[in-house]
Amino acid sequence: MSALCRRIPSLVNQLRIPTFAALKQQKVILSSLPTRVLCVTLFSTKPPPSINDKLMEFFDDPKNWEKDNIKTGRSWKLDELRIKSNEDLHKLWYVLLKERNMLLTMERECQTEYRVFPNPERIDKVEESMENLETVVRERNRAYFELETTEPAERPGKLEMNQIGMRYFYKHSEHLIPKVMNRKWREKVVHGYEGNAVKKFLRLKAEKLRDREIWKTHSRRRYVSRIFSEYPDADVKSLQEAFPDVDVEAARKHIDARGNHDKNLD
Amino acid sequence: MSTRWYPLYQMGNPQLRIFLPNFFMKLVKPKYSEPPNRVTFEVSMGMSRYDVKNYLEKIYKIPVISVQTRVTPGELKTTAGYVTKEDDYKTAFVVLEKSVNFSFPDLFAAGLKEKEYEKEMKSLEATKREYRKQQERNANRPGLPGWFSF
Repeated sequence: MSALCRRIPSLVNQLRIPTFAALKQQKVILSSLPTRVLCVTLFSTKPPPSINDKLMEFFDDPKNWEKDNIKTGRSWKLDELRIKSNEDLHKLWYVLLKERNMLLTMERECQTEYRVFPNPERIDKVEESMENLETVVRERNRAYFELETTEPAERPGKLEMNQIGMRYFYKHSEHLIPKVMNRKWREKVVHGYEGNAVKKFLRLKAEKLRDREIWKTHSRRRYVSRIFSEYPDADVKSLQEAFPDVDVEAARKHIDARGNHDKNLD
Repeated sequence: MSTRWYPLYQMGNPQLRIFLPNFFMKLVKPKYSEPPNRVTFEVSMGMSRYDVKNYLEKIYKIPVISVQTRVTPGELKTTAGYVTKEDDYKTAFVVLEKSVNFSFPDLFAAGLKEKEYEKEMKSLEATKREYRKQQERNANRPGLPGWFSF
């Protein structure tokens, strides 16, 4: 299972194996239980964990308390999580959550005692695994809802125009009163722009973007001309296919296409 | 129980069920002496007292009697003309059953770091003594390189 999991008792708790006393109280027919549950309940001589033991789950194995270097595996990858069932992912989430709490507790204690916390990248690995797990669960949730309701079950939003004429993704939120009554929201969230200052800004912005595009096309044309300056016999047809937006014939006749050879076009 | 966005609650709505909680809880050493059944945690800022109780009961299976929470704002520090602020944090004081007797363990009781340091100091002293002996031996030949053996 998890590369970072080394706590079997927590897994046992999650699988909910009952004690013998609990079974007797519920009057469960023992032969109806699966063999593994039966074995653990009837033949286990281990006492159930006390509250102190459960609180000690917030700490690392005592052997690791004063180590300089603690070796751990890597984080869970997306593809590794995608092949797991929902039940497995749900259990893994809590394993990772408890591991994160343990690492954060150890880090905090090291801070208090002015000690170096060994291998802080362990926390990053766990957080990355948790992010990946949530991505996979969100993918599945999205797919299910899009199939059933044609809408993903994510927070709704829409591309809106802000007060300086730029579009941004506005995330919708729930309100208890309608827009008409919500003066504070209407004052805070204004979609749309007006004014000469904004118009000037948009004009200058458009000019900047346009200049960039023009520079790009010019630089491509210059590149093709330089190809011809080095290789005057280059195939025009294949170059046109490679640079569809450049007039290759014109680039060949351009002054930039002159090279150190006797095939310059006069 | 998580940092995600949830719909608003209005009277008559179904109970909100939260899957995959991403709040953290750190067990910390109490600043002042606490009764044996009271444990101190540093928790996510978004956690309420009910959240802390449910978190411990459902995930760690620890029965909780009551919880008190307090938010401490981070310190403002001024260095060389700019100001930085440390993060705010929320402390939760969790009261467990009367029979519980938990004391925060001393993680560095074995003192392995101190022992290592003592060992290194001893070997350093031994090296110093050897060096002084060698200097005394070659007192009448100062500046002679170490690889000359007499």
